[in-house]
Amino acid sequence: MDESTPPPPPAAPAEPSPPPPPSTFGSPTDFLKCSGQTRRGILSCLDGYMNIAMEQTEEHVNGRVTNSYGDTFIRGNNVLYISAAEPL
Amino acid sequence: MDSASNGIQEPFDLIRLSLSERVFVKLRGDRELTGVLHAYDGHMNLILSDVEETIMIVDQVEGVSEGHTTVNIAKRKMEMLFVRGDGVILVSPPSRG
Repeated sequence: MDESTPPPPPAAPAEPSPPPPPSTFGSPTDFLKCSGQTRRGILSCLDGYMNIAMEQTEEHVNGRVTNSYGDTFIRGNNVLYISAAEPL
Repeated sequence: MDSASNGIQEPFDLIRLSLSERVFVKLRGDRELTGVLHAYDGHMNLILSDVEETIMIVDQVEGVSEGHTTVNIAKRKMEMLFVRGDGVILVSPPSRG
């Protein structure tokens, strides 16, 4: 019972190249302002202060859309979190 | 990426592209402004002209459950305005097609 063969190499990934790192850029993104209002839109970019540029922004209060804007700049101090609206 | 085609690499580029345009600004304390953006800095201090301020005054009705509120809207106009950056929540430039 001398099974000295090395374990098989890990299975090759299904995709030929590794998937890109998780990113919410260009995908619908949720973020919550401190007071419980949520803004949802497509994240264009952000900087070190968490200032955010967003496209197709909708403002949600209690699940209802209260406002919508085209492009928006959101000052970083108002950001509580950023999450992908749909699973990455 | 779409944002690259707009020439937006960082969020402030969105503001830079809105200079001399009418912008919507959402402020702390249920205030909103629309005005022509003349200048801004890294704190988001803003210089606006031809400004209309909208103040939402929410009155909670006493003894009634949440949701029974009356919202009064006050508006005023100002020729020129300096906005301190820490009050800014959101700036939305005019939609460009």
